[in-house]
Amino acid sequence: MRALHAPRWRILGPALVALLLGQPLVVPALQGQASSVALAIPDAKTRLVVEREIARAVSRGLPSAPLVAKAMEGVTKLAPPDRIRAAVAAQAQRLEQARGLLGPTPTEAELVSGAEALAAGIPSAMLKQVRAAWPTQSVVMPLDVLTELVARGVPPKQALERVVTLMRRGATPVQIAGLGAAVQADVAAGLAPDAALEVRARGVMSLLPSPAAAAALAPSGRRP
Amino acid sequence: MLASIARPVEAQSDPALRIDAGLATIQQPAIGTVRGRETADAALLAAFWRRPLDRATLLASGNLTYARDSLAAVQAVAALSVPWRREPNLRTDIGGAGATFSLRSAGTGGNANAFVRQHLVRDADGGWVGGAVGRTRRDGVPSATTSADIGLWRRWRFLYGSASVAYQHSSDWLLLYTAGELDVRAETEYDLVDLQFTLQARGGPHDLTLAWTRRRVFADGPVSVPALQGSGTYQLTDRVALLASVGRQLADPMRGLPQADLAMAAVRVSLGPQPLPIMPRAVVAEATVRDAPTGEVVPPGEPVARLLEIRVEASDTARVTVAGSLSNWDPIPLRWDDGVWIARVPITAGTHRIGIRVGNGPWRAPRNLARVRDGFGGESGLLVVP
Repeated sequence: MRALHAPRWRILGPALVALLLGQPLVVPALQGQASSVALAIPDAKTRLVVEREIARAVSRGLPSAPLVAKAMEGVTKLAPPDRIRAAVAAQAQRLEQARGLLGPTPTEAELVSGAEALAAGIPSAMLKQVRAAWPTQSVVMPLDVLTELVARGVPPKQALERVVTLMRRGATPVQIAGLGAAVQADVAAGLAPDAALEVRARGVMSLLPSPAAAAALAPSGRRP
Repeated sequence: MLASIARPVEAQSDPALRIDAGLATIQQPAIGTVRGRETADAALLAAFWRRPLDRATLLASGNLTYARDSLAAVQAVAALSVPWRREPNLRTDIGGAGATFSLRSAGTGGNANAFVRQHLVRDADGGWVGGAVGRTRRDGVPSATTSADIGLWRRWRFLYGSASVAYQHSSDWLLLYTAGELDVRAETEYDLVDLQFTLQARGGPHDLTLAWTRRRVFADGPVSVPALQGSGTYQLTDRVALLASVGRQLADPMRGLPQADLAMAAVRVSLGPQPLPIMPRAVVAEATVRDAPTGEVVPPGEPVARLLEIRVEASDTARVTVAGSLSNWDPIPLRWDDGVWIARVPITAGTHRIGIRVGNGPWRAPRNLARVRDGFGGESGLLVVP
């Protein structure tokens, strides 16, 4: 109980110090998290360069978890230290870029999805269009499905057009995810990715309300 | 010599450096008015190097064959293998090769050639089409060769088969004359059409290949020449393998190499950071998300709603692992279950990257997932779970 009623200065003190230093409050915690996870890297040289790279990213306010995951992927794949460092740095750069594109206050999950989309070669302007279609809802699933479609060979412009249309027509994240899964099944069955998308997108669209009704039903709440 | 030429199209994702050293008995046609054959014992030394870059793979290989005064040859090949950005199943190889030789059977000189080849590489089948131009100087006489080839390959579990047709047009008449494939006057140009079938079996550490070629030589009149070659590899450890090859290698005007019947044995040592993949072609991996049966409990004991099921067709002597963002890239071993490697892993909603590894081979994406670059020169499978 005492902890719950700690003097207010104990809470505000670090906040004021952080504010004065121009650092977000989460930085020390994330730095600690990055270091402890990165310590699982057996090679000392790799561990050092990765920790530095993650600390640098965290100091810019970026989440550490996706960077640690990228480092661990490199360790598992026996990538050389320079390559792991470069991959972590590139991931940090994409996260930062995604933060700018999905602003003003994207969630960590949105940042990760945005970074994945950029890594898959989706132009940055398209991320802005996705955010513009759903300014208040989470764009995690639309971005993930867009990334998957492009990775399967659907032209980015066509994939974006279909996904954004579904978003504007009021499709739910589950319906958008279903589109990705259906296209995956069609491609596995031998259909060309762009043709599969066309067919499946029409199928989902037929279940949605008309554009006018969709506008009226559009959710106004803030994304989680 | 001839059997240990490294193929320039081994564009996998992992870096590699390997060295082959061995001995061979080579029987070649003897030059002269009366056709005969002479046998030479030769020493072989070959090196293969591969380095993945961000958007391409660099490959180089070289080999030296030496049999005292009857045979000496040095060859080098350099190539760049570039996957297409929008269509990862397509890959273009471009490169060149050079050789210098001193052969009792086919003269002294050198050769240079350049090639380009377009590949379609899918999980279980693929094909290629390519072309090359070459120049050879043999005993001071220049000659030129052009070629085009097209082929298809397919894999059935542990068997890999290919069929190809290659066309060559050449003025290097001395090469075929000594091989007994061409009975013509000097300075004659000729055409070759090779129909080749290859069957390869890969299982665990073993690798056996049989190649049958039917060559039609069109000069003064068509002549048909068959050739059969068998080769095998046995992987002793991750880094050491034994190689053996026996059979006939037909004359190759593009590279300036004469026909030879050979038996070769060698040791291959892999020095790169990644050992040789034991059986990269024999893998069929699929990842499927299923609803967990009611009450399903997966270690460490939490009830789960969804499971990712990984199924891999591979030899029972290999070890198979799956790793990904779902396990923080900790490798999870698959278990051998009635002819298939299998794992069921709890999975949550979101986007997951997944890799499968068989033996010491490269990490690959399951074939039914979208493939994305992993930033380490390889690939991962992308799985979106609603």
